[in-house]
Amino acid sequence: MRSADAIGNPRLRQHREPTALQCPRNLGEIMRKTIDLRATSFAAVLIIIFSPAGRAQNGAAAKSSQLQAKIAYCKTCHGLSGQGYQGYLPMPRLAGQQPIYLENQLRAFIERRRTNPVMFNVAHVLSPTMVTALATHFKELNPGPLGGAPRELLATGKTIYEDGLPEANVPACAACHGMEGKGEGEIPRLAGQFYPYTLKVLTNWTKERGQGPTQDPSAVMKPTAHNLTASQTAAVAAYVSYLK
Amino acid sequence: MSLCGKKRSMNGVRLKSVLAGTILGLTFAAGTRVEGQVTPAVSKQALQAKIEYCKTCHGVSGQGFRGAFPMPRLAGQQPEYLENQLRAFIERRRKNPIMFNVAHVLNPAMLDALAAHFKDLDPKPLGGAPTKLVDAGKKIYQDGVPGKDIPACASCHGPEAKGDAAFPRLAGQLHDYISRKLVNWSKERGQDPANPDTSAIMEPIAHSLDESQVAAVAAYLSYLN
Repeated sequence: MRSADAIGNPRLRQHREPTALQCPRNLGEIMRKTIDLRATSFAAVLIIIFSPAGRAQNGAAAKSSQLQAKIAYCKTCHGLSGQGYQGYLPMPRLAGQQPIYLENQLRAFIERRRTNPVMFNVAHVLSPTMVTALATHFKELNPGPLGGAPRELLATGKTIYEDGLPEANVPACAACHGMEGKGEGEIPRLAGQFYPYTLKVLTNWTKERGQGPTQDPSAVMKPTAHNLTASQTAAVAAYVSYLK
Repeated sequence: MSLCGKKRSMNGVRLKSVLAGTILGLTFAAGTRVEGQVTPAVSKQALQAKIEYCKTCHGVSGQGFRGAFPMPRLAGQQPEYLENQLRAFIERRRKNPIMFNVAHVLNPAMLDALAAHFKDLDPKPLGGAPTKLVDAGKKIYQDGVPGKDIPACASCHGPEAKGDAAFPRLAGQLHDYISRKLVNWSKERGQDPANPDTSAIMEPIAHSLDESQVAAVAAYLSYLN
Protein backbone atom coordinates (compact mmCIF):
# COMPACT_ATOMS: atom_id res chain seq x y z
CA MET A 1 0.00 0.00 0.00
CA ARG A 2 2.60 2.52 1.08
CA SER A 3 5.15 1.86 -1.68
CA ALA A 4 2.39 1.85 -4.25
CA ASP A 5 1.32 5.25 -2.99
CA ALA A 6 4.86 6.57 -3.23
CA ILE A 7 5.30 5.32 -6.78
CA GLY A 8 1.91 6.55 -7.78
CA ASN A 9 2.49 10.07 -6.40
CA PRO A 10 3.30 12.32 -9.41
CA ARG A 11 4.64 15.15 -7.23
CA LEU A 12 7.21 12.87 -5.74
CA ARG A 13 8.40 11.63 -9.10
CA GLN A 14 8.65 15.10 -10.67
CA HIS A 15 10.83 16.46 -7.89
CA ARG A 16 13.07 13.47 -7.58
CA GLU A 17 13.94 12.99 -11.21
CA PRO A 18 15.43 16.43 -11.92
CA THR A 19 17.39 16.34 -8.66
CA ALA A 20 19.00 13.10 -9.56
CA LEU A 21 19.83 13.99 -13.19
CA GLN A 22 20.82 17.70 -13.18
CA CYS A 23 24.27 18.78 -12.17
CA PRO A 24 24.01 21.79 -9.78
CA ARG A 25 26.01 24.91 -10.90
CA ASN A 26 26.77 26.45 -7.54
CA LEU A 27 26.47 26.05 -3.82
CA GLY A 28 23.35 28.20 -3.62
CA GLU A 29 21.68 26.05 -6.17
CA ILE A 30 22.86 22.94 -4.35
CA MET A 31 21.47 24.24 -1.08
CA ARG A 32 18.21 25.30 -2.69
CA LYS A 33 17.88 21.89 -4.28
CA THR A 34 18.75 20.16 -1.00
CA ILE A 35 16.18 22.15 0.94
CA ASP A 36 13.67 21.58 -1.79
CA LEU A 37 14.49 17.88 -1.74
CA ARG A 38 14.24 17.77 2.05
CA ALA A 39 10.91 19.50 2.04
CA THR A 40 9.71 17.24 -0.72
CA SER A 41 10.99 14.19 1.11
CA PHE A 42 9.36 15.37 4.31
CA ALA A 43 6.08 15.91 2.50
CA ALA A 44 6.44 12.54 0.85
CA VAL A 45 7.06 10.87 4.18
CA LEU A 46 4.05 12.63 5.63
CA ILE A 47 1.93 11.56 2.71
CA ILE A 48 3.19 8.01 2.98
CA ILE A 49 2.47 7.89 6.70
CA PHE A 50 -0.91 9.50 6.61
CA SER A 51 -2.49 8.50 3.35
CA PRO A 52 -3.07 4.77 4.02
CA ALA A 53 -4.17 5.56 7.54
CA GLY A 54 -6.41 8.29 6.25
CA ARG A 55 -7.92 6.02 3.68
CA ALA A 56 -8.53 3.27 6.25
CA GLN A 57 -10.10 5.81 8.57
CA ASN A 58 -12.38 7.11 5.83
CA GLY A 59 -13.41 3.53 4.98
CA ALA A 60 -14.19 2.65 8.59
CA ALA A 61 -16.00 5.94 9.04
CA ALA A 62 -18.13 5.31 5.98
CA LYS A 63 -18.97 1.80 7.16
CA SER A 64 -19.55 2.96 10.72
CA SER A 65 -21.75 5.83 9.54
CA GLN A 66 -23.79 3.40 7.44
CA LEU A 67 -24.14 1.13 10.43
CA GLN A 68 -25.07 4.05 12.68
CA ALA A 69 -27.69 5.17 10.17
CA LYS A 70 -29.12 1.67 10.00
CA ILE A 71 -29.15 1.33 13.80
CA ALA A 72 -30.98 4.64 14.07
CA TYR A 73 -33.44 3.33 11.48
CA CYS A 74 -34.10 0.11 13.47
CA LYS A 75 -34.55 2.14 16.64
CA THR A 76 -37.21 4.30 15.05
CA CYS A 77 -39.58 1.43 15.67
CA HIS A 78 -37.80 -0.88 18.12
CA GLY A 79 -37.14 1.77 20.78
CA LEU A 80 -34.23 4.14 21.36
CA SER A 81 -32.35 1.49 23.35
CA GLY A 82 -33.80 -1.44 21.43
CA GLN A 83 -36.15 -2.07 24.36
CA GLY A 84 -39.24 -2.41 22.17
CA TYR A 85 -41.95 0.10 21.50
CA GLN A 86 -45.70 0.36 21.16
CA GLY A 87 -46.42 1.90 17.79
CA TYR A 88 -49.39 0.96 15.67
CA LEU A 89 -48.19 -2.59 16.37
CA PRO A 90 -46.17 -3.83 19.31
CA MET A 91 -42.54 -3.73 18.13
CA PRO A 92 -40.35 -6.38 19.75
CA ARG A 93 -37.41 -5.70 22.01
CA LEU A 94 -34.14 -6.40 20.17
CA ALA A 95 -31.80 -5.49 23.02
CA GLY A 96 -29.80 -8.47 24.24
CA GLN A 97 -31.30 -10.72 21.58
CA GLN A 98 -29.29 -13.73 20.41
CA PRO A 99 -27.51 -12.83 17.13
CA ILE A 100 -28.18 -16.23 15.51
CA TYR A 101 -31.88 -15.82 16.23
CA LEU A 102 -31.96 -12.26 14.86
CA GLU A 103 -30.15 -13.31 11.70
CA ASN A 104 -32.48 -16.25 11.19
CA GLN A 105 -35.54 -14.01 11.61
CA LEU A 106 -34.21 -11.42 9.15
CA ARG A 107 -33.61 -14.22 6.67
CA ALA A 108 -37.07 -15.62 7.43
CA PHE A 109 -38.65 -12.26 6.48
CA ILE A 110 -36.69 -12.19 3.22
CA GLU A 111 -37.51 -15.80 2.37
CA ARG A 112 -41.15 -15.27 3.40
CA ARG A 113 -40.89 -18.01 5.99
CA ARG A 114 -42.14 -15.39 8.42
CA THR A 115 -44.99 -13.29 7.15
CA ASN A 116 -44.52 -9.59 7.83
CA PRO A 117 -44.72 -7.09 4.96
CA VAL A 118 -43.05 -4.28 6.94
CA MET A 119 -40.10 -6.41 7.99
CA PHE A 120 -39.77 -7.94 4.53
CA ASN A 121 -39.09 -4.48 3.15
CA VAL A 122 -36.67 -3.70 5.95
CA ALA A 123 -34.77 -6.97 5.73
CA HIS A 124 -34.32 -7.56 2.03
CA VAL A 125 -31.98 -4.58 1.56
CA LEU A 126 -29.56 -5.65 4.32
CA SER A 127 -26.22 -7.12 3.24
CA PRO A 128 -24.98 -10.13 5.21
CA THR A 129 -22.23 -8.01 6.85
CA MET A 130 -24.78 -5.42 7.89
CA VAL A 131 -27.02 -8.13 9.36
CA THR A 132 -24.10 -9.44 11.42
CA ALA A 133 -23.10 -5.93 12.54
CA LEU A 134 -26.66 -5.10 13.59
CA ALA A 135 -27.12 -8.41 15.40
CA THR A 136 -23.90 -7.80 17.34
CA HIS A 137 -24.93 -4.25 18.19
CA PHE A 138 -28.28 -5.24 19.65
CA LYS A 139 -26.77 -8.16 21.57
CA GLU A 140 -24.74 -5.71 23.65
CA LEU A 141 -27.60 -3.41 24.65
CA ASN A 142 -29.16 -3.93 28.05
CA PRO A 143 -31.93 -1.45 28.86
CA GLY A 144 -34.52 -2.24 31.51
CA PRO A 145 -37.72 -3.96 30.39
CA LEU A 146 -40.42 -1.71 28.96
CA GLY A 147 -42.99 -3.06 31.45
CA GLY A 148 -46.73 -2.51 31.29
CA ALA A 149 -47.95 -6.09 31.69
CA PRO A 150 -50.62 -6.97 34.30
CA ARG A 151 -48.72 -7.97 37.44
CA GLU A 152 -51.49 -10.23 38.75
CA LEU A 153 -50.54 -12.74 36.02
CA LEU A 154 -46.92 -13.08 37.10
CA ALA A 155 -47.26 -16.00 39.53
CA THR A 156 -49.11 -18.18 36.99
CA GLY A 157 -46.69 -17.11 34.30
CA LYS A 158 -43.71 -18.09 36.42
CA THR A 159 -45.14 -21.56 37.05
CA ILE A 160 -45.76 -22.12 33.36
CA TYR A 161 -42.33 -20.77 32.46
CA GLU A 162 -40.43 -22.88 34.97
CA ASP A 163 -42.54 -26.06 35.21
CA GLY A 164 -44.68 -26.15 32.10
CA LEU A 165 -48.19 -27.59 32.05
CA PRO A 166 -47.57 -31.32 31.66
CA GLU A 167 -51.27 -32.23 31.40
CA ALA A 168 -51.65 -29.77 28.54
CA ASN A 169 -48.40 -30.87 26.86
CA VAL A 170 -46.79 -27.50 27.45
CA PRO A 171 -43.11 -27.99 28.28
CA ALA A 172 -41.25 -25.73 30.69
CA CYS A 173 -40.18 -22.70 28.63
CA ALA A 174 -37.03 -22.63 30.78
CA ALA A 175 -35.84 -25.95 29.38
CA CYS A 176 -34.88 -24.24 26.13
CA HIS A 177 -34.96 -20.49 26.83
CA GLY A 178 -33.12 -20.83 30.16
CA MET A 179 -34.30 -20.04 33.68
CA GLU A 180 -33.42 -16.36 33.13
CA GLY A 181 -34.97 -16.25 29.66
CA LYS A 182 -31.71 -15.24 27.99
CA GLY A 183 -31.93 -17.79 25.16
CA GLU A 184 -28.96 -19.35 23.39
CA GLY A 185 -27.95 -19.60 19.74
CA GLU A 186 -31.08 -20.01 17.64
CA ILE A 187 -33.26 -19.99 20.78
CA PRO A 188 -34.37 -16.40 21.37
CA ARG A 189 -34.01 -14.33 24.50
CA LEU A 190 -37.43 -13.72 26.04
CA ALA A 191 -36.31 -11.70 29.07
CA GLY A 192 -37.82 -8.24 28.93
CA GLN A 193 -39.69 -8.94 25.71
CA PHE A 194 -42.57 -6.55 25.21
CA TYR A 195 -45.75 -8.11 26.64
CA PRO A 196 -48.18 -7.38 23.78
CA TYR A 197 -45.61 -8.62 21.27
CA THR A 198 -45.12 -12.03 22.96
CA LEU A 199 -48.87 -12.32 23.31
CA LYS A 200 -49.47 -11.60 19.63
CA VAL A 201 -46.68 -13.85 18.37
CA LEU A 202 -47.74 -16.87 20.41
CA THR A 203 -51.38 -16.39 19.45
CA ASN A 204 -50.60 -16.15 15.73
CA TRP A 205 -47.72 -18.61 15.62
CA THR A 206 -48.97 -20.87 12.85
CA LYS A 207 -50.12 -17.92 10.74
CA GLU A 208 -46.83 -16.03 10.93
CA ARG A 209 -44.02 -18.54 11.32
CA GLY A 210 -42.85 -21.49 9.28
CA GLN A 211 -44.63 -20.24 6.16
CA GLY A 212 -41.99 -21.51 3.71
CA PRO A 213 -42.00 -24.78 1.83
CA THR A 214 -39.45 -26.34 4.21
CA GLN A 215 -39.50 -26.75 7.96
CA ASP A 216 -37.57 -24.16 9.98
CA PRO A 217 -36.75 -23.90 13.69
CA SER A 218 -40.13 -22.27 14.35
CA ALA A 219 -41.71 -25.74 14.04
CA VAL A 220 -40.40 -26.51 17.53
CA MET A 221 -42.73 -23.92 19.08
CA LYS A 222 -45.81 -24.84 17.07
CA PRO A 223 -47.40 -27.44 19.38
CA THR A 224 -46.58 -25.39 22.47
CA ALA A 225 -48.09 -22.20 21.06
CA HIS A 226 -51.15 -24.22 20.11
CA ASN A 227 -51.51 -25.92 23.49
CA LEU A 228 -51.40 -22.72 25.56
CA THR A 229 -54.81 -21.19 26.23
CA ALA A 230 -55.32 -17.44 25.83
CA SER A 231 -55.03 -16.81 29.56
CA GLN A 232 -51.94 -19.02 29.90
CA THR A 233 -50.33 -17.20 26.97
CA ALA A 234 -51.03 -13.88 28.64
CA ALA A 235 -49.58 -15.10 31.94
CA VAL A 236 -46.33 -16.36 30.48
CA ALA A 237 -45.97 -13.26 28.27
CA ALA A 238 -46.43 -11.07 31.35
CA TYR A 239 -43.86 -13.07 33.32
CA VAL A 240 -41.09 -12.88 30.72
CA SER A 241 -41.77 -9.18 30.09
CA TYR A 242 -40.45 -8.32 33.56
CA LEU A 243 -37.35 -10.55 33.44
CA LYS A 244 -34.11 -8.58 33.23
CA MET B 1 -99.99 -35.26 27.70
CA SER B 2 -97.70 -33.21 25.55
CA LEU B 3 -95.31 -32.76 28.46
CA CYS B 4 -95.25 -36.51 29.01
CA GLY B 5 -94.64 -37.15 25.33
CA LYS B 6 -91.71 -34.74 25.32
CA LYS B 7 -90.22 -36.35 28.35
CA ARG B 8 -90.51 -39.80 26.90
CA SER B 9 -88.87 -38.78 23.65
CA MET B 10 -86.03 -37.09 25.55
CA ASN B 11 -85.51 -40.25 27.52
CA GLY B 12 -85.52 -42.15 24.25
CA VAL B 13 -82.80 -39.90 22.86
CA ARG B 14 -80.74 -40.22 26.00
CA LEU B 15 -81.07 -43.99 25.99
CA LYS B 16 -80.13 -44.15 22.33
CA SER B 17 -76.99 -42.11 22.85
CA VAL B 18 -76.01 -44.17 25.87
CA LEU B 19 -76.50 -47.33 23.82
CA ALA B 20 -74.54 -45.90 20.94
CA GLY B 21 -71.78 -44.94 23.34
CA THR B 22 -71.71 -48.44 24.78
CA ILE B 23 -71.60 -50.02 21.36
CA LEU B 24 -68.83 -47.65 20.28
CA GLY B 25 -66.97 -48.41 23.46
CA LEU B 26 -67.32 -52.15 22.94
CA THR B 27 -66.31 -51.92 19.30
CA PHE B 28 -63.19 -49.92 20.07
CA ALA B 29 -62.22 -51.92 23.11
CA ALA B 30 -62.50 -55.10 21.08
CA GLY B 31 -60.67 -53.48 18.19
CA THR B 32 -57.72 -52.42 20.23
CA ARG B 33 -57.62 -55.74 22.01
CA VAL B 34 -57.43 -57.53 18.70
CA GLU B 35 -54.89 -55.34 16.89
CA GLY B 36 -53.29 -53.48 19.75
CA GLN B 37 -50.53 -55.25 21.54
CA VAL B 38 -49.05 -51.81 22.26
CA THR B 39 -51.53 -49.19 23.42
CA PRO B 40 -54.94 -50.35 24.52
CA ALA B 41 -55.77 -47.28 26.64
CA VAL B 42 -54.16 -44.42 24.72
CA SER B 43 -55.94 -42.61 21.92
CA LYS B 44 -53.92 -41.96 18.78
CA GLN B 45 -54.57 -38.25 19.17
CA ALA B 46 -53.40 -38.11 22.79
CA LEU B 47 -50.28 -40.07 21.93
CA GLN B 48 -49.48 -37.81 18.98
CA ALA B 49 -49.87 -34.71 21.14
CA LYS B 50 -47.59 -36.17 23.79
CA ILE B 51 -44.97 -37.17 21.21
CA GLU B 52 -44.92 -33.61 19.85
CA TYR B 53 -44.53 -32.36 23.39
CA CYS B 54 -41.51 -34.62 24.02
CA LYS B 55 -39.97 -33.56 20.72
CA THR B 56 -40.18 -29.88 21.59
CA CYS B 57 -37.12 -30.42 23.76
CA HIS B 58 -35.72 -33.76 22.59
CA GLY B 59 -35.53 -32.87 18.90
CA VAL B 60 -38.07 -33.26 16.12
CA SER B 61 -36.75 -36.77 15.39
CA GLY B 62 -35.85 -37.54 18.98
CA GLN B 63 -32.19 -37.02 18.07
CA GLY B 64 -31.57 -34.75 21.06
CA PHE B 65 -31.38 -30.97 21.16
CA ARG B 66 -29.29 -28.25 22.75
CA GLY B 67 -31.56 -25.87 24.64
CA ALA B 68 -30.66 -24.23 27.93
CA PHE B 69 -28.87 -27.53 28.53
CA PRO B 70 -28.32 -30.62 26.38
CA MET B 71 -31.53 -32.66 26.05
CA PRO B 72 -30.77 -36.35 25.55
CA ARG B 73 -31.42 -38.31 22.40
CA LEU B 74 -34.41 -40.61 22.88
CA ALA B 75 -34.41 -42.14 19.41
CA GLY B 76 -33.62 -45.83 19.49
CA GLN B 77 -33.52 -45.87 23.27
CA GLN B 78 -34.35 -49.11 25.09
CA PRO B 79 -38.01 -48.98 26.24
CA GLU B 80 -37.24 -50.61 29.58
CA TYR B 81 -34.57 -48.01 30.30
CA LEU B 82 -36.89 -45.14 29.29
CA GLU B 83 -39.67 -46.45 31.50
CA ASN B 84 -37.36 -46.88 34.43
CA GLN B 85 -36.03 -43.33 34.02
CA LEU B 86 -39.52 -41.84 33.82
CA ARG B 87 -40.43 -43.72 36.98
CA ALA B 88 -37.16 -42.59 38.57
CA PHE B 89 -38.13 -38.95 37.94
CA ILE B 90 -41.53 -39.52 39.53
CA GLU B 91 -40.10 -41.38 42.52
CA ARG B 92 -37.32 -38.80 42.87
CA ARG B 93 -34.69 -41.48 42.46
CA ARG B 94 -33.39 -39.29 39.66
CA LYS B 95 -33.29 -35.57 40.33
CA ASN B 96 -34.63 -33.32 37.60
CA PRO B 97 -37.42 -30.83 38.37
CA ILE B 98 -38.43 -30.39 34.73
CA MET B 99 -38.66 -34.10 34.04
CA PHE B 100 -40.48 -34.70 37.31
CA ASN B 101 -43.24 -32.41 36.05
CA VAL B 102 -43.24 -34.08 32.68
CA ALA B 103 -43.25 -37.64 33.96
CA HIS B 104 -45.72 -37.58 36.81
CA VAL B 105 -48.72 -37.02 34.52
CA LEU B 106 -47.93 -40.00 32.29
CA ASN B 107 -50.05 -43.09 32.82
CA PRO B 108 -48.45 -46.51 32.32
CA ALA B 109 -50.15 -47.07 28.96
CA MET B 110 -48.91 -43.71 27.64
CA LEU B 111 -45.47 -44.48 28.93
CA ASP B 112 -45.41 -47.81 27.05
CA ALA B 113 -46.63 -46.14 23.90
CA LEU B 114 -44.03 -43.36 24.07
CA ALA B 115 -41.20 -45.78 24.77
CA ALA B 116 -42.24 -47.92 21.80
CA HIS B 117 -42.44 -44.85 19.55
CA PHE B 118 -38.93 -43.63 20.33
CA LYS B 119 -37.44 -47.11 20.03
CA ASP B 120 -38.41 -47.16 16.36
CA LEU B 121 -36.83 -43.82 15.44
CA ASP B 122 -33.38 -43.84 13.91
CA PRO B 123 -32.16 -40.34 12.96
CA LYS B 124 -28.48 -39.56 12.46
CA PRO B 125 -26.50 -38.48 15.52
CA LEU B 126 -26.63 -34.75 16.28
CA GLY B 127 -22.83 -34.49 16.36
CA GLY B 128 -20.78 -31.58 17.64
CA ALA B 129 -18.15 -33.43 19.68
CA PRO B 130 -14.41 -32.86 19.15
CA THR B 131 -13.44 -35.62 16.70
CA LYS B 132 -9.85 -35.71 17.95
CA LEU B 133 -11.10 -37.47 21.11
CA VAL B 134 -12.86 -40.27 19.25
CA ASP B 135 -9.93 -42.71 19.10
CA ALA B 136 -9.15 -42.45 22.80
CA GLY B 137 -12.86 -42.82 23.54
CA LYS B 138 -13.16 -45.91 21.39
CA LYS B 139 -10.32 -47.57 23.29
CA ILE B 140 -11.94 -46.87 26.66
CA TYR B 141 -15.31 -48.03 25.36
CA GLN B 142 -14.00 -51.30 23.97
CA ASP B 143 -11.20 -52.17 26.41
CA GLY B 144 -11.90 -50.16 29.55
CA VAL B 145 -9.03 -48.83 31.68
CA PRO B 146 -8.01 -51.90 33.68
CA GLY B 147 -5.42 -49.99 35.73
CA LYS B 148 -8.21 -47.79 37.06
CA ASP B 149 -10.82 -50.51 37.49
CA ILE B 150 -12.85 -49.18 34.60
CA PRO B 151 -14.50 -52.03 32.73
CA ALA B 152 -15.10 -51.98 29.00
CA CYS B 153 -18.36 -50.06 28.47
CA ALA B 154 -19.09 -52.49 25.63
CA SER B 155 -19.41 -55.39 28.03
CA CYS B 156 -22.83 -54.11 29.16
CA HIS B 157 -23.88 -51.54 26.56
CA GLY B 158 -22.86 -53.79 23.66
CA PRO B 159 -20.15 -53.43 21.00
CA GLU B 160 -22.41 -51.10 18.99
CA ALA B 161 -23.66 -49.30 22.11
CA LYS B 162 -27.26 -50.16 21.35
CA GLY B 163 -27.91 -51.20 24.95
CA ASP B 164 -30.34 -53.89 26.02
CA ALA B 165 -33.39 -53.72 28.29
CA ALA B 166 -32.30 -51.91 31.46
CA PHE B 167 -28.95 -50.98 29.88
CA PRO B 168 -29.41 -47.79 27.90
CA ARG B 169 -28.43 -47.24 24.30
CA LEU B 170 -25.51 -44.82 24.15
CA ALA B 171 -24.98 -44.74 20.37
CA GLY B 172 -25.57 -41.24 19.01
CA GLN B 173 -26.18 -39.73 22.43
CA LEU B 174 -25.19 -36.05 22.79
CA HIS B 175 -21.62 -35.87 24.00
CA ASP B 176 -22.33 -32.93 26.32
CA TYR B 177 -25.27 -34.83 27.83
CA ILE B 178 -23.15 -37.95 28.48
CA SER B 179 -20.41 -35.85 30.04
CA ARG B 180 -22.83 -34.09 32.36
CA LYS B 181 -24.43 -37.35 33.45
CA LEU B 182 -21.14 -39.10 34.13
CA VAL B 183 -19.71 -36.11 36.01
CA ASN B 184 -22.84 -35.64 38.14
CA TRP B 185 -23.74 -39.31 38.47
CA SER B 186 -23.86 -39.56 42.24
CA LYS B 187 -25.71 -36.23 42.54
CA GLU B 188 -28.48 -37.08 40.07
CA ARG B 189 -29.01 -40.83 40.11
CA GLY B 190 -29.93 -43.23 42.88
CA GLN B 191 -31.16 -40.41 45.12
CA ASP B 192 -33.52 -42.51 47.24
CA PRO B 193 -31.42 -44.50 49.74
CA ALA B 194 -34.52 -46.46 50.77
CA ASN B 195 -35.04 -47.55 47.19
CA PRO B 196 -31.68 -48.33 45.56
CA ASP B 197 -31.85 -48.80 41.80
CA THR B 198 -29.84 -50.03 38.83
CA SER B 199 -27.96 -46.72 38.60
CA ALA B 200 -25.75 -48.02 41.43
CA ILE B 201 -23.94 -50.18 38.86
CA MET B 202 -22.50 -47.14 37.11
CA GLU B 203 -21.53 -45.20 40.19
CA PRO B 204 -17.99 -46.50 40.77
CA ILE B 205 -17.25 -46.29 37.04
CA ALA B 206 -18.48 -42.72 36.72
CA HIS B 207 -16.40 -41.90 39.77
CA SER B 208 -13.21 -43.52 38.44
CA LEU B 209 -13.25 -41.89 35.01
CA ASP B 210 -11.32 -38.63 34.95
CA GLU B 211 -12.51 -35.57 33.08
CA SER B 212 -10.57 -36.24 29.88
CA GLN B 213 -11.64 -39.89 29.80
CA VAL B 214 -15.25 -38.84 30.21
CA ALA B 215 -14.91 -36.37 27.35
CA ALA B 216 -13.26 -39.00 25.14
CA VAL B 217 -15.80 -41.75 25.66
CA ALA B 218 -18.65 -39.26 25.28
CA ALA B 219 -17.22 -38.01 21.99
CA TYR B 220 -16.81 -41.55 20.68
CA LEU B 221 -20.39 -42.54 21.51
CA SER B 222 -21.89 -39.36 20.10
CA TYR B 223 -20.83 -40.32 16.57
CA LEU B 224 -22.06 -43.93 16.63
CA ASN B 225 -25.02 -44.59 14.40
